[in-house]
Amino acid sequence: MDGGALPDDAHRWPQGSLRATDVSRSFEGVEALRDVSLAIERHEVVGLIGPNGAGKTTLINLITGFDRPSAGRIELGGDDITGWLTIRRARAGLARTFQHGHLFRALSVRENIELAALGVGMRAAAAARIADELLDALELRARAGVAAGALAHGEEQKVGVARALASRPRYVLMDEPAAGLSEADIESFSSLVRRIRDDYAAGVLLVDHNMAVIMDVCDRILVLDQGRLIAAGTPAEIRTNIDVTAAYLGSTGVREAGGGG
Amino acid sequence: MTRLRVPQTLLASIALLAIVALLGSGASASTQQDYISALVSATIVYGLYMFVGSSGVISFGHISFAAIGAFSAGVLTIPVGPKHLTMPGLWPFLAQHSVSSLESLVIAAVLGGVSALVIGFPLMRLSGIAAGIATFAVLQITYNVLNQWTLIGPGPTTLALVPTTTGIWVSLLGAIFSAIVAFAYQSSRRGRLLRAAREDAAAAQAIGVHVVRERLLAFGLSGAICGLGGALLVHQLGSITTDQVYLELTFLTLAMLVIGGSGSLWGATVGALAISLLDSFLNTAENSVHVVFFELTLPNGSSDVILGIIMTLVILFRPQGLTGGSEFSLAGLARVGRLIAASPAKLRHRPARSEGPPAPRTDM
Repeated sequence: MDGGALPDDAHRWPQGSLRATDVSRSFEGVEALRDVSLAIERHEVVGLIGPNGAGKTTLINLITGFDRPSAGRIELGGDDITGWLTIRRARAGLARTFQHGHLFRALSVRENIELAALGVGMRAAAAARIADELLDALELRARAGVAAGALAHGEEQKVGVARALASRPRYVLMDEPAAGLSEADIESFSSLVRRIRDDYAAGVLLVDHNMAVIMDVCDRILVLDQGRLIAAGTPAEIRTNIDVTAAYLGSTGVREAGGGG
Repeated sequence: MTRLRVPQTLLASIALLAIVALLGSGASASTQQDYISALVSATIVYGLYMFVGSSGVISFGHISFAAIGAFSAGVLTIPVGPKHLTMPGLWPFLAQHSVSSLESLVIAAVLGGVSALVIGFPLMRLSGIAAGIATFAVLQITYNVLNQWTLIGPGPTTLALVPTTTGIWVSLLGAIFSAIVAFAYQSSRRGRLLRAAREDAAAAQAIGVHVVRERLLAFGLSGAICGLGGALLVHQLGSITTDQVYLELTFLTLAMLVIGGSGSLWGATVGALAISLLDSFLNTAENSVHVVFFELTLPNGSSDVILGIIMTLVILFRPQGLTGGSEFSLAGLARVGRLIAASPAKLRHRPARSEGPPAPRTDM
């Protein structure tokens, strides 16, 4: 899987992959992303790291349709989805979690999960069944009736994942899910990320600053710096990559990112 | 959350409406009008609730649809003979036709709904203060059109001689019908998805909710119910001017929804009935009223002041409304009962309500 960041050959990736090709995005002249290409398969967890402001969230927003690229193409399972609305992408199997939870705070945990299934077009009975499944699988049963706004931070992330899984996604894009989690929470969170891949057969793009989590769960890691992909490889490769170290040392992200590496 | 308490909140709302109707049925003719007003208000507030409560977007424009309903129902039900005299400028088609009150209710609801869909189409992307300003403009435009356009109505003069067919039972049926529609919508798939969008528009999009489309559907439905409410109103009063379906009614109905709790059907019910009856009582009291032992006479205008104070207090101390935005449930009632029964010491040590930690809620 080396060189996954630079998929030059379109036929190299089987159907079902999520790909971005030469994606750029500039905000009023400032290039947040420049010619970024990546591809993710459904059987892998791909980490995306980089200093603050490297363009990680921008990339997630481009892939999920919250933002449009200035140039480049985004494909899902061979379909060009660059022009699709967010909701269409969600129904096509792209789920995401947000940096700050973005749960439906006044609604119950159960309703949060059920709505995600309803949102992508499932019937009420099917949505209820999926919610039941996920409540049990993620050990949220005891909190089912609690308003999502009343949850502790660790549980909030878990419900965010449950909500993403409820839409039966092909890919889950996670934006700094481990931020603010306690040591104990991080342990169970890592296994949760693996289960997304193993039990739910969804590919994961994991953006986080917590190197312990990234190194622990990712099959591959992409490194973004100042809007460009500067490295890609296995955790072991990234750990020893000179460019990556330089990017982190020369930036403000060094403190958070240095944690587990 | 809504799923489990479903029938309870609807049944409790209907029961409360029925109690008001029963009280009204035994009252004197003039007092009965206050009860009818309460039930008609409930219909309009249900309409308002369907949009504002479900979407979380404020609307100052809903009384437009009540106005459209009121004037269309009024103009259509006045007998052809007197219509020529009171509204000589009327469009010939309207002048030559007259329908029954029941038909006029249906037509008013359809017109209210259709105009809401048309007007809502360009507005549904707005939220917050922008939505408030735009919907307020809608109210003004509707008012001015109705006030000037004598081809479709009486213009600035009073629309009179409308059959007074909204009695206490008709107003009860209208309110129950509206409560059922509002409830059916809020428990429907689309109503639930709009609630998700109310909580967090970005996250709702991420799970596949077309926020603008869902809002528009709610806007149309709520316009229809407000149209029905306006029609019931005109058939209660027998005559109406554009000023009666303008600013005052807009703020009164919004106050009812806010005070009751805009997040729940139960809140809409409680707010509409309580505030409407209180408002009627205060208005009567301005012309002096007997309260148990003494004669109460309030200075003119005090009803507005008192309602304003109540609304301020609710917003300050109970921003989710009297019902806290929760639906009615027997379990909730039992909890409140236990709280009241609890000793004062216990009350002091009662754990804080599950408001949750002030987790960050930043936009992306």
